[in-house]
Amino acid sequence: MTATLLPAAADPVGTSSPSSRPRRGSGRDISLLVMVVVVALLLSVIVGLPLVRILTVAFSAEGWSIVSSMLSNPVNRGILWNTVQLGVIVSLLGTAVGFVMAYAQVRLKFRGKRILHLISLMPIVSPPFAVATAAITLFGRNGMISNGVFGQQIDIYGLKGLTFVLTLSFFPVAYMNLKGMLESLDPSLDEAAANLGANKLKIFTSVTLPMLIPGIAGSVLLLFVESIADLANPLVLGGDYTVLASRAYLAVVGEYNVAGGAAYSLVLLLPALSVFLIQRYWVSRKNVVSVTGKPAGSPELITAPALRIPMLVMAVAVASLVILMYATVVFGGFVKIFGVNNDFTLDHYRFVLAGIGSDAMFTTTLLALIATPIAGLLGMLIAWLVVRKLKRTSGLMDFVGMLGLAVPGTVIGIGYAIAFNTPTVFAGRQWFPAVAGGSAILGGAMAIVMVFVARSLPTGQRAGISALQQINPAIDEAATSLGASSLTTFRTVTLPLIRPALLAGLTYAFARSMTTLSPIVFITTPQTKIMTSQILAEVDSGRFGNAFAYCAILIVIVLSFIGLLNLAMLHPSIRGIQRR
Amino acid sequence: MPRTRTSALLLTLPLGVTALLAGCAVEETPTTTSSSSSSAGGSIKGTGEVVVACTPQEEQCQAMAAAFTKASGIKTSFVRMSSGEGVARLDAAKSKPEFDVLYGGPSDGHVAAFNSGLIEPYVSANAAAIPDKYKDKDGKWTGTYVGVLGFCSNKDQLTKAGVSAAPSSWAELLDPKLKKQVAIAHPSTSGTSYTAVWTQMVLNGMDEAKTFDYLGKLHQNVLQYSKSGSAPGQMAGRGEVAVGVIFSHDCVKYQKEGFDMLESTFPSEGSGYEIGAVSVVKGGPNAENAKKFIDWTLTPDHQDIGPTVGSFQIPTHPEAKITEDMVKLDEVKLVEYDSLAAGEKKKELTAKFDAEVAPAPKE
Repeated sequence: MTATLLPAAADPVGTSSPSSRPRRGSGRDISLLVMVVVVALLLSVIVGLPLVRILTVAFSAEGWSIVSSMLSNPVNRGILWNTVQLGVIVSLLGTAVGFVMAYAQVRLKFRGKRILHLISLMPIVSPPFAVATAAITLFGRNGMISNGVFGQQIDIYGLKGLTFVLTLSFFPVAYMNLKGMLESLDPSLDEAAANLGANKLKIFTSVTLPMLIPGIAGSVLLLFVESIADLANPLVLGGDYTVLASRAYLAVVGEYNVAGGAAYSLVLLLPALSVFLIQRYWVSRKNVVSVTGKPAGSPELITAPALRIPMLVMAVAVASLVILMYATVVFGGFVKIFGVNNDFTLDHYRFVLAGIGSDAMFTTTLLALIATPIAGLLGMLIAWLVVRKLKRTSGLMDFVGMLGLAVPGTVIGIGYAIAFNTPTVFAGRQWFPAVAGGSAILGGAMAIVMVFVARSLPTGQRAGISALQQINPAIDEAATSLGASSLTTFRTVTLPLIRPALLAGLTYAFARSMTTLSPIVFITTPQTKIMTSQILAEVDSGRFGNAFAYCAILIVIVLSFIGLLNLAMLHPSIRGIQRR
Repeated sequence: MPRTRTSALLLTLPLGVTALLAGCAVEETPTTTSSSSSSAGGSIKGTGEVVVACTPQEEQCQAMAAAFTKASGIKTSFVRMSSGEGVARLDAAKSKPEFDVLYGGPSDGHVAAFNSGLIEPYVSANAAAIPDKYKDKDGKWTGTYVGVLGFCSNKDQLTKAGVSAAPSSWAELLDPKLKKQVAIAHPSTSGTSYTAVWTQMVLNGMDEAKTFDYLGKLHQNVLQYSKSGSAPGQMAGRGEVAVGVIFSHDCVKYQKEGFDMLESTFPSEGSGYEIGAVSVVKGGPNAENAKKFIDWTLTPDHQDIGPTVGSFQIPTHPEAKITEDMVKLDEVKLVEYDSLAAGEKKKELTAKFDAEVAPAPKE
């Protein structure tokens, strides 16, 4: 699936431009204006409004008293400190693991690269609880490995366990980032260093590593945002280690203290957003790699044992851990109580497939299928507007589109509950009815689709932007000067050209929609049950077998979708003109 | 791609059905509600749907919903939530309720919900058969089952921690050997846990300071506060902790499910108990069906379902079956549990717990 993330090098000359009827007049400007207005409206409803509402509540008297006590009240200070501490540790460790995996993949010589690659991506397609529940079963106090094999009672609850689980869950983000960078490094630099007499280790420390600094910094910052925003794992494994996300959740779910929830959200939003901004606008500009251009040849794979053996050992260790986790998920779904009573049973799958689970499974898949094309197309449209059409406002639109990723899910969820549980009234008029909550239209399903779109749109947008930047704008201009309106140009010229980015966007949109939890828990309704929140219920009640079965089924759904999508894209009628 | 198209069609099916159902819900004719709303001997047969906020274990909710749908023809859907969570959820959607019935959970939770204006009193005709101590005379809540709070201990884990016998008093739970070996739910979300908090209030003569002193000491031994009340039993079963403070019927359920190292004990100072209650949500979308549902829960037809799915709460209806696995109320020392007083203090006490006890650092 990731082979498609980086767009194929487009060959602007070789592609035929579709015929379009020459048309003169102001038609193209109107269609552009309409598109801009529609996209801007959509973004302000799915991202803007919830954020504005949560800020309003956080700055209310009740919310502000909590915000302002963040530093003075020792309990709240502790929670803030926990959150930052966890973010820093996980972002450093996760990037290190991601680097090892990426380096092994790109530079080392060994067999089984494809498998290692797939294993490194596994955590992306899996629901948030898979790793945590497997970790408790294997390495918990009474874990099969920690206690069963080593006779140790490891205290997995708290910072230690969270670090372990979050690192395993989030390292793929760093892996993908750094793999792309390593691949685009110009091997001639290595060769130059080698010609000057440097050995492999010297090249690694004095050439490769410095070139990767921007990528590493970017990964660290992204992982920081992801790990402070995570809700699922602190709920399951937190012990007495409370973080802002879980605190906000308890305030809303346990006490219906919306002001409190909004206040904790605001405090969570500040570091997340500022770090995201640094990553986005500062680190990405320091990118030295991109100026070196395309690699002039394929790099010589490293065979020197001094580097190869320790790197490979680490990579294999991480891969084995990932495999172990998912083997536990698969196996745990088929036994009564994994580690306690290992008799074979189909009860868990029966519970999930025949009971409530089948309902949740259908609803979740359906809503994700609705959200996926919307998110994919909207992402491409925003990318196109940002790169090609908008001038002064392009930065703003890009930023608002990315908010769905930068803003922690808990914050989005609480924002949705505040903004959409009641009809939206502005200036004495009702603009649209309540879309979230059980009494809303379509049983609250609309709000869930909106959250899915908001959360999964940014990845497609990013892929689209980097794809478009590599395509010569002359093609667009050619279509335009032949009289095609902006809409026609986008539909018949741009979209076919950035098909790989669209595919990546769709894949992500589906995987992310299926596995997102933190915003969803606040807006599921009796009519609309979502798999991840059902898994949370099972995990919280301790029925790990059912949770394992849910996770396995969810992974199968996501993987089959990706498979079908890739197959569909190979089909001649869809494949169209361009292929790698 | 014919395959994708077929599956897409399959997937649109539930949407259509949902849309149809939603349509039905809107078109449902509002039935006249008389002020003395007891439907004496009325049939539970009906049409349309009823939405239940269900707080017992998922299996019980499923079996209950299926049985009521079968008995009445009313489509029953539910969301399983912890009772504190359920009340918070009712509060969240106060202006336009999404649920019709609050099912299960200690009666004090229903009292708290009533005090927040979320519950419509309803005296079912069938409530006449329920003993007075298990119902509110004004119909704020009516009991369908009784559960007793107990300790659910993992014998193997106790031995490892160097404790010879399962704790049999609240004082023994403070044993330093049990550091990080006790699990209990968070009283904000869980009715089970609030029952434990109120039990301490009773045992300490309603002295809040002493109660929170005990809870603060217990905090040193608590590994993690879970969201739902029964989760600590699972944690004990898996050996993550040695003792879970839960309702004893949940402990029995886990024993039956294969955790045979679990042992159920009761505190000698006196234990709290819950009267698992049902009540009608104020202004719910299907008011008439809600009442039919309540009528039905007070019959042996409903109360005999529990044991078939491993839920061994004691039924409140005198004619419902008592099984061997249920707690014998006369063998356990119970505290005087005033659910009215408990419900009134609930918000204050859980907020205090949340601010002072739960986030406190451990030594």
